[in-house]
Amino acid sequence: MQNTISQPKAGESYLLWFIKIVTGLLIIVILFIHFLVNHYLAPEGLLSHAEVVAYYRNYPIVPIMEGFFLVFVVSHSLIGTRSILLDLNLKKNIMRVVDALLVTVGLVATGYGIWLLFAVINWGA
Amino acid sequence: MENPTKKPNTRGILDWFDPRGRRVGGWGFILNRLTAIGLTVYLYLHLIMLGKLAQGPEAYDSFIAFAKQPLIMFGEMLVIIGGLYHGLNGVRIALNSFGVGVPAQKQLLYGVLGLTLVGSLIFGLRMFATH
Amino acid sequence: MSEEKWTVNFVVYRKKGEGAPHYQTFTLEVSPEEYVIDGVERIWAFHDRSLVFAHACHHSTCGACGMRVNGVEKLTCITRIRDVTSNGGTLRIEPLRNFPVISDLVVDMSRLYVGMDKVHAPAVHPLSMAPLEGEGIKPPREVPMDDGKEYLRLADCIECGLCISACPVAGTAEEYLGPAVLAAAQLQGLGRAPDLTAVVDCVDGVWRCHSAYECTAVCPSSVDPGWRIMDLRRQVLAQRIRRWFGGA
Ligand code: HEM
Ligand code: HEM
Ligand code: SF4
Ligand code: FES
Repeated sequence: MQNTISQPKAGESYLLWFIKIVTGLLIIVILFIHFLVNHYLAPEGLLSHAEVVAYYRNYPIVPIMEGFFLVFVVSHSLIGTRSILLDLNLKKNIMRVVDALLVTVGLVATGYGIWLLFAVINWGA
Repeated sequence: MENPTKKPNTRGILDWFDPRGRRVGGWGFILNRLTAIGLTVYLYLHLIMLGKLAQGPEAYDSFIAFAKQPLIMFGEMLVIIGGLYHGLNGVRIALNSFGVGVPAQKQLLYGVLGLTLVGSLIFGLRMFATH
Repeated sequence: MSEEKWTVNFVVYRKKGEGAPHYQTFTLEVSPEEYVIDGVERIWAFHDRSLVFAHACHHSTCGACGMRVNGVEKLTCITRIRDVTSNGGTLRIEPLRNFPVISDLVVDMSRLYVGMDKVHAPAVHPLSMAPLEGEGIKPPREVPMDDGKEYLRLADCIECGLCISACPVAGTAEEYLGPAVLAAAQLQGLGRAPDLTAVVDCVDGVWRCHSAYECTAVCPSSVDPGWRIMDLRRQVLAQRIRRWFGGA
């Protein structure tokens, strides 16, 4: 083990960590609004389909906010997951597979989430 | 050394989560990691479940009706508690990492726990009232 | 000193070679004012000469006697028995975590020493750097000040390894430099030693820390490695962000 501590190992730098922190701080604001709307202000405790559609249509800022929320929370959770996996000191080639998987999940989740936003906005139109 | 491949004396992942002998900060880390994993699992289930929004009111509203049962509501409550804790603790770690308030990390953690408790009570009471 | 005597069960971790570890109990009569290392020495002297453990100075200077006492990292030479158990109680004595066990209570701390070399804070300094003649003395690093006025006492790392043992992620992150090493880098400062930036801004550096602050909780020498890691992060960020704007 001790002999392998030789060169600084690339693979996680200040930039990923910085993105993790900044997205985290942005999420907390939106997540709080999210909890408020979906739990506190929802008349029946949870929003119905019609209410979600109205929520998105009545306030144009809302779908934009949800879109950013989606991107931030997906990146944050995947960078966070990666950071947990890095704690396991996985082999380089395994880490490459992990990275590819995480990027794929991120892209699919973001694409799907944005499609969903439009599906709701355009519901019945 | 005679045997350079010797593995370190550790129980691996178990040691991440074992609170025995650990102090306040260690507990903060354990909770942060548990809530992070919980929220991540929730996020992707949540996105899949929200797919019902695209299928129309019948599909979505029957799901919402189904969700209004104690076990699922309890789960939702856990998500709220976890979200509040992880988010507020995230602010604590962010401050610390920019060199702010490290000597007060313990007090900050108590503050995080206090705010999480207050927030959870507010949401919990509201949830109780609407069902 | 009082004549008070306690009966204490020392439950001691034993491991030889590739054999499976097990625990062996030794019941001793001790004075509660004695230190944990005294009990361990007595086990070796009167009960089992094959018990392997390390110590040298007996006064918290050499850093050799670190063990886990009831699950918490301690320098056993300054840990009074009264403070960690009671009459009739148990003391579970285990080697430090996150290092390979050589035998019983002794671990291979190369991981720490190699890291110290990497951040130019070697455990042993070459003679040419030793301030023997009093001429041109260059301290190997900045001595930390308290409020910018007084020099801090006891901010020196004694390389005991307690912090690496206490760190919850150092076990799985086998190549993580660890608290003591990052603290040594912080003491020098990235401004004074810019080449350290690459060493600490990487997978095995400051970003492996997840702010459990267990290192600071167990450090017997007021190094406060937890704070130093956070400060090092601040330094890395400041340096990198300055570079975005074309700074040096
Ligand atoms: C248990 C409490 C929660 C409830 C009841 C809830 C409910 C909802 C509902 C009804 C929507 C549709 C849009 C809206 O009304 O805002 C939504 C969207 C969304 N939620 Fe939640 N949510 C909860 C927690 C969370 C958490 C903890 C996260 C983050 C991990 C999250 C992430 C999202 C995202 C990213 C969207 C936008 C999806 C899209 O692209 O369309 N939600 N949520
Ligand atoms: C609400 C605002 C949030 C803030 C301020 C925040 C902040 C942070 C911070 C600072 C970390 C770094 C912890 C460390 O390296 O020790 C972190 C880790 C993490 N976060 Fe968040 N976070 C938030 C929400 C979320 C959400 C909603 C999710 C999941 C959907 C999430 C998933 C994760 C994961 C998986 C990690 C890695 C955990 C670990 O290293 O133990 N976070 N978060
Ligand atoms: S930082 Fe403290 S606990 Fe860690 S090796 Fe140095 S003296 Fe020991
Ligand atoms: S014997 Fe030297 S520090 Fe304990």
